[in-house]
Amino acid sequence: MDLIFYFLRQLFLAIPALFGVLIITFLLMRAVPGDVVTQLVGIDGNVSAERMEEMRRMFGLDLPLYEQFGQWIGAALQGDLGSSLRTGRPILLDLAMRFPVTLELTILSLMVALIIAIPLGVIAALYRGKLADSIISIFALLGLSIPGFFLGILLILLFSLKLNVLPPAGYIPLQESLAQNLRHMILPAVSLGLVLAAAITRIVRSSMLEILGRDYIRTARAKGLAERSVTYRHALRNALIPVITVIGLQFGSLLGGAIIIEQVFSLPGVGRFALEGINLRDYPVVQGAVIVIAASFILVNLLVDLVYSLIDPRIRYG
Amino acid sequence: MKRFVLFLLLFGLGLALAQPKYGGVLRAGMQTDPVGLDPHTSQATATRNMLENTYDTLVMLNENLEIVPGLAESWEASEDGLAWTFNLREGVTFHNGDPLKASDVVFSLNRIKDPDIASPRAGDFEVISNIEAADDSTVVVTLSQPFSPLLSKLAFSMNAIVSEAVAMANNNDLNDVVVGTGPFKFIEYIPQTRMVLEKNENFWGTDANGNQLPYLDGITFTFYPEPTARTTAVQTGNVDWIEYVPAPDVDILKADSGVEVVGGLATNFRSIYINTSVAPLDNALVRDAIAYAVDEQAVVDVALFGTGGVAADGTTIPSSAFYGISSSPYIGRDVEKAKELLAEAGFADGFEFDMYVTSTYDFLRTPAEIIQSNLAEIGITMNIVAEDWSVYLPKVIDGDFTATILGNSGLADPDDYLYDQFHTGGNGNFGGYSNAELDALLEQGRQVSDPEERKAIYTQAQELILAESPMVFLFHSAQYEAHGTNVKGFKHYQNTGYLSFRETWLE
Repeated sequence: MDLIFYFLRQLFLAIPALFGVLIITFLLMRAVPGDVVTQLVGIDGNVSAERMEEMRRMFGLDLPLYEQFGQWIGAALQGDLGSSLRTGRPILLDLAMRFPVTLELTILSLMVALIIAIPLGVIAALYRGKLADSIISIFALLGLSIPGFFLGILLILLFSLKLNVLPPAGYIPLQESLAQNLRHMILPAVSLGLVLAAAITRIVRSSMLEILGRDYIRTARAKGLAERSVTYRHALRNALIPVITVIGLQFGSLLGGAIIIEQVFSLPGVGRFALEGINLRDYPVVQGAVIVIAASFILVNLLVDLVYSLIDPRIRYG
Repeated sequence: MKRFVLFLLLFGLGLALAQPKYGGVLRAGMQTDPVGLDPHTSQATATRNMLENTYDTLVMLNENLEIVPGLAESWEASEDGLAWTFNLREGVTFHNGDPLKASDVVFSLNRIKDPDIASPRAGDFEVISNIEAADDSTVVVTLSQPFSPLLSKLAFSMNAIVSEAVAMANNNDLNDVVVGTGPFKFIEYIPQTRMVLEKNENFWGTDANGNQLPYLDGITFTFYPEPTARTTAVQTGNVDWIEYVPAPDVDILKADSGVEVVGGLATNFRSIYINTSVAPLDNALVRDAIAYAVDEQAVVDVALFGTGGVAADGTTIPSSAFYGISSSPYIGRDVEKAKELLAEAGFADGFEFDMYVTSTYDFLRTPAEIIQSNLAEIGITMNIVAEDWSVYLPKVIDGDFTATILGNSGLADPDDYLYDQFHTGGNGNFGGYSNAELDALLEQGRQVSDPEERKAIYTQAQELILAESPMVFLFHSAQYEAHGTNVKGFKHYQNTGYLSFRETWLE
């Protein structure tokens, strides 16, 4: 009961946070020079200044900022995120099509990250100061230093051009063919996941080291438990609590990284949608995409809170 | 006798080899998504590239940029050039089975002119005062004044003939329905994922041997905004064909035996636009001096990787197909001559000016650095000021610059290259150039339809422009497509369109 109340309160508190994000996005986008009209006219448009003014009026870009914001937020509260200034398509429709792609990408990346990071982190902690630890630390440092998009291009060149085992880019919807879908998702998920894996490896290592030095681990060993059991049942389980916090926080950077990765691999996700919106100064598109991204970030962190209480019964919300 | 049989056999084999094959779906890798699917309102090249084989136009361009019949089998202009009669092809049907009628042509052209539709090409048909269907297969277009570029405007792929019934059934909005008469039917479009076209079994077109077109069963477009991914996709055979090969990758793909690269010169121009009202650039001698000093070939070789463009040897017009001349006195460099002209203009010690460029497009920014060093040799100090496209463009349109590097593309008639750019008050005459003699020539060029007469007029106009240098002509951007060796019959069109898919086949 307490738990439900806690979540309702957190959800309620998320509203001002979302609102703040929206205002900042709204103002930042308008602080960027230029508008959708100059972008639409493009490099080869022979368009008169009058026609450009007319287009601005059509899009409501000539109104004072507060009026533009008021109109938009009014419609948004009624569930209408408006239409793209460029294509005229309803933004909700586009977001509904794209969100599953980004969700799949982030979940797969997270899986890649965890599958790599947890064993590596544990090994590094168990063999602290040994060769294995050094190699893993170098890997983690490299992973943190390499930008995801660059890694992505390297992966395309290796797995697609050189080995020709995976497609360089593109997307097949999940409902059409799971196998084809996954084939297209592997490289993006690895590009995005490796960077996160590096971060998580370091957390798992330090958190394991801390736990392994605790009294109860010594007690467990003293009472004759197998080392395996000590490591996995007693140490790792407790060491994962800070890891889960990091996952919640890193989820934001996954979503951010997805913007670039989706562009590199031509995935039709929310990130690429937002990037296109930013490049074209298509304000409603950017605002719509930011709502979705911000809301999922808030939601994921709420879920993380929930997972805490499952992993560690001592944590209670009230 | 034996020899004769052998000859026959070889001859037959040769024929069989050259014979196009039916079947197969071409997988095409595109740079970006279409922007809206309504041919009349979309301004995007990407929309044209994917839809121009679903729709048809009254007349068309072939790969040599000559006007050839499209939905109109023949046409004639009245003596005074004011009434144009188009005779429509018999038996053409839309993809929904409706027959094409003259009323659809009338509807389509009026729709482009309709202010409520807000077509970016409404201006193309400003001079049309009336369009009517004389009968079901004859359309008469009446002009308010003679306008010889009319055919090239009608040939633009997105001035397409649409179905009146379909438009009316969809609130006159064609963004969600694509029903044309072209060789491919529109099946689906999933944003940022793919667009699928399927063969139109009832297409009216045939090849030179009378075989039914198209050969392909369909085309599937997918999108690869990242250049490396696009290039890799064609190299690995994930797609059969790609557009916009990035300039640095042209040589890489040419070296790949599994890939063929086609392309080159495209219908566009990139120049230094000079504000002719700002001293000392208001002096034609100074502008000519700059033209002599600039090394166009170095711009292409260094700034464009040697493959991204073709140095200008005339004016804005890239090809002799549009009466372009290739006798510019500024080909190559003549530093002595440039210094002489500067001295004659009274600037022997040079001067200083700002070159305003956009940082958004590399091919419009990097040439500035070469020009800067070229001009330093004749004592002119050129400062480069670069700004984002969205800040840059409004200033340039307002004429708020001394000199800038810009261009235009997709043009199909000499008028397109000269009138807007150099006529007093023209839409693309950002430097404010004005010359009564040139204005008169450009107006005359619109009214005369005889090719020889037009050629003489436009030659004279271009010579006048070269003498006055309101622009310094740099290069024409090149464009390349690449495809696997299994793709046959694809030809590069200089207007950068992909009408060639109509005759492309897969081995």
